[in-house]
Amino acid sequence: MTALPAHSAPVPRRAPSPTRQRPLQPAPAPRPRRAKPRLAYAIIAVSAVAVIVVAQLLLSIAVAQGAYEIDTYQLRQAELARQEQKLVEDLDRVESPQYLAMNAEALGMVPNAAPVYLRLSDGAVLGEPTAAAGGEAASAPLVSNALITGVPLVTEQETEQTPTEGATGEVPAAPPAPAPLPSDGLPTPATH
Amino acid sequence: MNRISRHPIRRIIMAAVVLVALVGVFVVRLVDIQVVRAAELTAEAEGRRSQTVTDYGARGDIVDANGTVLADSVMRYDIALSPKNAGPVDREQPDPADASKTTSVEMPLPEVAAELGAAVGLTAEEVQGIIATALAANPDDDFEYVAKLVDTATYEKVKALEIPWVVPYPHPSRVYPNGAVAGNLLGFVQADDGAPLAGLELSEDKCVAGRNGEYSYQHSLEDWVPIPGTRIVHSEARDGGTLKLTIDADLQWMVQRIAASQVQAVGADWATVTVMEAKTGRLLAVADVPTLDPNNVTATAADDRGSRSFTAPFEPGSTFKALTAASVIDAGKADATSQIVAGYQYLPPNGADITDSFFHEEVPYTLTGVMIDSSNTGMSMFGERLSNEERFAYMQAFGLGEQTEVGFPGEEPGNLHGGPAEWDNQTMYATMFGQGLTTTAVQIASVYQTIANDGVRMPVRLVDGCIGEDGKLVAPEVSGERVISENAANQTSQMLERVYLEGWLADEWEIPGYRVAAKTGTAQVADGNGGYLEGHLVSVSGFAPADDPEFVVSVSIMNPVKMNSSAASAPVFQQVMSQVLKKYRTVPSGAPAPELPATW
Repeated sequence: MTALPAHSAPVPRRAPSPTRQRPLQPAPAPRPRRAKPRLAYAIIAVSAVAVIVVAQLLLSIAVAQGAYEIDTYQLRQAELARQEQKLVEDLDRVESPQYLAMNAEALGMVPNAAPVYLRLSDGAVLGEPTAAAGGEAASAPLVSNALITGVPLVTEQETEQTPTEGATGEVPAAPPAPAPLPSDGLPTPATH
Repeated sequence: MNRISRHPIRRIIMAAVVLVALVGVFVVRLVDIQVVRAAELTAEAEGRRSQTVTDYGARGDIVDANGTVLADSVMRYDIALSPKNAGPVDREQPDPADASKTTSVEMPLPEVAAELGAAVGLTAEEVQGIIATALAANPDDDFEYVAKLVDTATYEKVKALEIPWVVPYPHPSRVYPNGAVAGNLLGFVQADDGAPLAGLELSEDKCVAGRNGEYSYQHSLEDWVPIPGTRIVHSEARDGGTLKLTIDADLQWMVQRIAASQVQAVGADWATVTVMEAKTGRLLAVADVPTLDPNNVTATAADDRGSRSFTAPFEPGSTFKALTAASVIDAGKADATSQIVAGYQYLPPNGADITDSFFHEEVPYTLTGVMIDSSNTGMSMFGERLSNEERFAYMQAFGLGEQTEVGFPGEEPGNLHGGPAEWDNQTMYATMFGQGLTTTAVQIASVYQTIANDGVRMPVRLVDGCIGEDGKLVAPEVSGERVISENAANQTSQMLERVYLEGWLADEWEIPGYRVAAKTGTAQVADGNGGYLEGHLVSVSGFAPADDPEFVVSVSIMNPVKMNSSAASAPVFQQVMSQVLKKYRTVPSGAPAPELPATW
């Protein structure tokens, strides 16, 4: 393809042939042409331009509006991510074996080192049952964890339900609260 | 008019010169702006119009075999202020005249400082002190830290104060939710820049390291809302992979607790306890006391921050006799019932002088009896049935004298006293019962793993693999290597069972219901100057259930001043092994251990 208009190439000129010379005739009368609706074209073109301009304007307004909306959501997302991080950190901390052991000991539990199994097929007791020896040294100082310093034990929490301070209370939209735990231990099944 | 028109050529030339000069100036300026200073000016323009932001790639977590997070990446914040701009702050407060309106009240600097101090845990004076000191040094100081690495709650408190001259900066940091559990293995990172400094953080950095990215965007002038379509990513952030260990966090905690409790009780310098899976060589727990809490590194002395199980080689002592016995049996030079007569002292022809740790008359021992009584003289008589080179080859096959496959930072290979060529007459015999050469605790556990696993040594593993971005675990291929025959391994195992049942600590380490194979060691400790220290390194290594070994436990306690014998390590072995068997619901053994005569 060439970008040049087709007619720009010079047409090879032919010598006029002397033999065929047509006699002169009157030019045929031009056909009556239909009047073109010039105004309609103009209106369509101008309004199309106007529509495009308006559409572009609206689009950019929408995009700008969207930018603010995105910004709002991004701020919210960042805030929720921070919230999540705080909660995950709290959870990881109270899930640590040190914290669980301290709580178990505070509730008066002692570890039993002797493994004993009950075989269900014949009811045989495998291993020798031995009573757990009490008075074990407290675990806390043995395997330290700087993260749980100052976190109150379950036995030290009187009314508050969360083991860490400041973790809750700032949740903007709290999910429906679960049924409150009875304050005096585990919930008992209501069977008779 | 006339005068000018008199020299039209000169006029044209002058105009041309001026024009060329002018164009020249423009060209020079253009080249200067467009080419010479282009990068600088573009950067300045970008800087004015757009904001460059670091996109933090999180360092990967380190998790235990069950997915419990042992090392976690969190965002912390550094709180900085601008001393030169520090001053009173306008605060909106409810208008006392009209409750529905607010009025702007100016808060004086001391009050603002007190508020800020309360949020970050400083007093008002300390905050004002930071400002005053900075201004005294440099009146134009625009940047000074108030607090570093504060947590999210503090960050939100500071942000809520809305002090214009206080800016928090995000600072990725590392926390270890389980504290000292596996702390010595995990190691730690530099607080300032997160560079790994020790432990697995250092050796497995390739897996967990993330890469920060950077992007810039243009924003609105007033409220800094990003303009759509202007975000340019200069480099992509990449999160690090998740490192999955073979360690079980709960077991690790229990083992550390037992070991720490015993170290306190017997006044020892340090202790290590290793729990290994007999069939795979995976380390389930590696406890080092004193323990390191990576959340608070400075609380632990610098020498105690590594993992002695890997980095502190010691002379293993009598636990090593299992290796010598297994080698002799594998070479076909003896079996569990082979007979010798051993007295308190043995003077072999080469001039060495071997004595037992207790006095006894000549006893007609079998190899089993030698193991039960841990007789050095008896073991020497069996050990000399192999040449030094043969025994050295067995030691190497058991993985001694070189680092284990773990490749822990600072891991020691142990020292087999050079090699047979460098063993003198005494060392030649001493190496039969674990003196005169050094091994690490993990190497000894690996020797017992080989015996427990029918003579096939599995590579020691602390890491299961690296979980990359695609969520797939990339685990190295592992295959075992036969060191001794199945028969030799089983005979050694049966002898170790007799040691467990008839040795002098039989009551101390009894685990009812299970068949256990174990051996004690009370080794002298080299003082580094060719002599021995007064204290001993007491140890127990063994495995259970002996009829189908699942777990290897190896305990070493350094210099227990209140109980300087392997009686100090036996209760640790008993408690740890019980815990392991209980935790993994190991079915108790049915049949009793086979009988083997100790004497003839």
